[in-house]
Amino acid sequence: MTRRPQSSPAWAVGLAGLALLAMQGMAGAETLLRTRLNADIRSTDPGTNRDANTDGVIAHIVEGLVAFRDDTSIGPMLAESWTVSNEGKTYTFHLRQGVKFHNGATMTADDVLWSLKRWLDPATQWRCLSEFSASGIARIEKTEAPDPQTVAITLDQPTALFLPTLARPDCGQTAIIHRDSIGPDGKWIAPVGTGPFKLGEWKRGQYVDVLRFDGYASRAEPRTGYSGAKIVKVDRVRFNVIPDSSAAKAGLLSGALDVIMSLSIPDLEELKSRSDVQLSITPALGLTGILFQTRDPLLKDVRIRRAIALSIDTAQIVDAVMQGTARPNNSALPLGSPFHSEAQSHGYVQNMAEAKKLLVEAGYRGQPIKMITNKRYSFVFDSAVLVQAMAQAVGINIELEVLDWAAQLDRYNRGDYQAMAFVYSARLDPSLSFEMLAGPKATQPRKVWDNPEAQEMLRKSMMIDDTAKRQALFDEMHRRFIADVPMIVLFNGAELTALHKNIKGYAGWLYPQPRFWGVTVE
Amino acid sequence: MLGYLARRLAMTIPTLLLVAISVFALVRLIPGDPVQVMLGDSADPVQAMQLRAELGLDQPIPLQFMHWIAKLATGDFGHSITNNLAVLPLILDRFQISAIIVLVAVAAAACIAVPAGLIAAWKQNSLLDLSVVGGATLLLSIPSFWLGLLLLLLFGLKLKWLPVVGYVPFSENFWQATTFILLPIATLTMVEIGVLTRMARAASIEVLRLEYVTHARAKGVPEWLVLGRHVLPNAFAPTWTLIGLVLGHLLGGIAVIETVFTLPGLGRLLVDSIFARDYPVVQGCLLFTAMIYVVVNLIVDLCYPLFDPRVTVA
Repeated sequence: MTRRPQSSPAWAVGLAGLALLAMQGMAGAETLLRTRLNADIRSTDPGTNRDANTDGVIAHIVEGLVAFRDDTSIGPMLAESWTVSNEGKTYTFHLRQGVKFHNGATMTADDVLWSLKRWLDPATQWRCLSEFSASGIARIEKTEAPDPQTVAITLDQPTALFLPTLARPDCGQTAIIHRDSIGPDGKWIAPVGTGPFKLGEWKRGQYVDVLRFDGYASRAEPRTGYSGAKIVKVDRVRFNVIPDSSAAKAGLLSGALDVIMSLSIPDLEELKSRSDVQLSITPALGLTGILFQTRDPLLKDVRIRRAIALSIDTAQIVDAVMQGTARPNNSALPLGSPFHSEAQSHGYVQNMAEAKKLLVEAGYRGQPIKMITNKRYSFVFDSAVLVQAMAQAVGINIELEVLDWAAQLDRYNRGDYQAMAFVYSARLDPSLSFEMLAGPKATQPRKVWDNPEAQEMLRKSMMIDDTAKRQALFDEMHRRFIADVPMIVLFNGAELTALHKNIKGYAGWLYPQPRFWGVTVE
Repeated sequence: MLGYLARRLAMTIPTLLLVAISVFALVRLIPGDPVQVMLGDSADPVQAMQLRAELGLDQPIPLQFMHWIAKLATGDFGHSITNNLAVLPLILDRFQISAIIVLVAVAAAACIAVPAGLIAAWKQNSLLDLSVVGGATLLLSIPSFWLGLLLLLLFGLKLKWLPVVGYVPFSENFWQATTFILLPIATLTMVEIGVLTRMARAASIEVLRLEYVTHARAKGVPEWLVLGRHVLPNAFAPTWTLIGLVLGHLLGGIAVIETVFTLPGLGRLLVDSIFARDYPVVQGCLLFTAMIYVVVNLIVDLCYPLFDPRVTVA
């Protein structure tokens, strides 16, 4: 069992000798912050064998050239600045001076080139390699280092998604790592990165420790997203693997854990009354909604889909399911996105008379509509139940089918469903938010919105870098999305975290993973 | 004896082969595959296809089975899809934790349940009997996860005597390790006491009605000696069979207990692997469980002559 370190006898200051002893005591006392993972990480190799937990832990250890800010815009990380030339095809990154790897080596352009070469090698199995292939956002034609502090990357075509893709947490932030991270046989050993923490012990199935990296050179700007200052105020962070949420909550209340994330709504209600616990509620980027199979014999009629949309009161569902921690949103763009404009706020307004009229026009006679849901995400299940009840009020007969998450994912990927209550993970760029929904069903059965015009607008939004033009495209796409009703977006959810009162400086952000830099244990 | 052992061991081979075939087929009948779980909702079809090919999941299922069984024959259970660890060492590592808890809990439960059942049978239809039967039925009816959570609340949260989450291996720190497994052992012991007490009581009642017990009493043998020497050895055999079955069942994984107490045991490994559709680990765990069942039952059978002189191993 790990115990919280005792505070040193600082009160003994006054006598020089005792003060010295106290200082020695302080030097020996380790500050430990204990948090929870609901499942073990998959590996320590960024952006390869990974999942959300892996990305969250690894983000403490490695960094890329650029990173997402709090508002999902792109900020500098290992790059001090960059310029774009050659009609938007060449990005020249000027690296920060004096950045150290965990092994003490200084980062240079050579390390950046080596890391990029490794990511682009198919043998690495980088998750985001396909983004830089012929079917992806752009191909990387050339990487070069004009001097030890400069790296230039040339693409085959301009794209607004180049920097966001480099910064994606699931791409391992395209981490710049030292070549000591891999062995002579080319196999991964452990990350030797530039992050504010270095990897400590990883006891599979039990915990992962990350230790403060004393040689870390922090940026000067305030902490923002995965960018900005990363000043570490604890010696060690232990991510304990605790699958059961009740056990995690018990761990927090007994003092065995300092921070637990991803709380459920009932947990939140219970913890609100505790004087020794503080809560952090942050809007999230995930997207919960009801998907329709527009090729289904019944649901291919947009009038029936629209009738379902008009039968439900999104605000009431969100209030009931999320207990005031999230706001209703019918847009594919999350509420926190800088592109969530006034136009995006126009969604569905409950209108029972209109819904009934549409059903009559469509000739609907109470045929059952099977809606798949799961209990892994309680808010998804609860949403499905409420949609079912509200649709019933206008005579729509929805039957729920509860599957486990893997089985539901299989049906989702094959497009084998009538309707489905589903949750999408966070997408940090507005084009990616639409991209996860829009596409041709013939070649990508998982896509829910098969509208060629929308796909063309999406393609354009990925090519241009002009904010106003992108905004106009997203607004038009939203109007068509609402008219086509391929799905009903309900809300973006919230990241709920409980912390002991003695934890200071913690702040959640739009991306649902914790950041333990800038956090103190008092 | 050795001939019997050899025959029994030879009989396990077709059993395990049947288990291997059914496990392999069943695991693949579950909808969803590991690649989809790993890539999540953003699975790129090309990427999914590549990953499937790397994992050998694009090959015909009979071919996948042949590869697996050929490796099994050499003692290689394969590698986990999610973390690339060798399956057998992973299972053995996790099994140690489950085995310690199960063996201690079942031994403790047997030590309490057998005398309790015997005494209840001896005082049949008395208040004592009623209390023992009532207590046993209550323990039998309580779900283990609920009992575990109650104990956690009491000893972990209210009294703060024992840690609530985590695990320390015995090899690292014996006393700390003990504090982590006390509550799971207590939970499992209480649950199993219910089953075993009822069995011990029923068996003892049957034996107490036999003529040699009446005969022993008639010739003036003290009551404690009647119970200890004449009733207990004869009533213990059916309970011993049940203990064997319980052990076999529990050693295959105490997933619920392990999840509540956050212990990285075999049961949790199996459940996590099923959710992740980690085929090699699921297959390995199930096959290993079947082997444990076979071995435990063999040991139980070999021990019979110790309790019942009428039984001989030939």
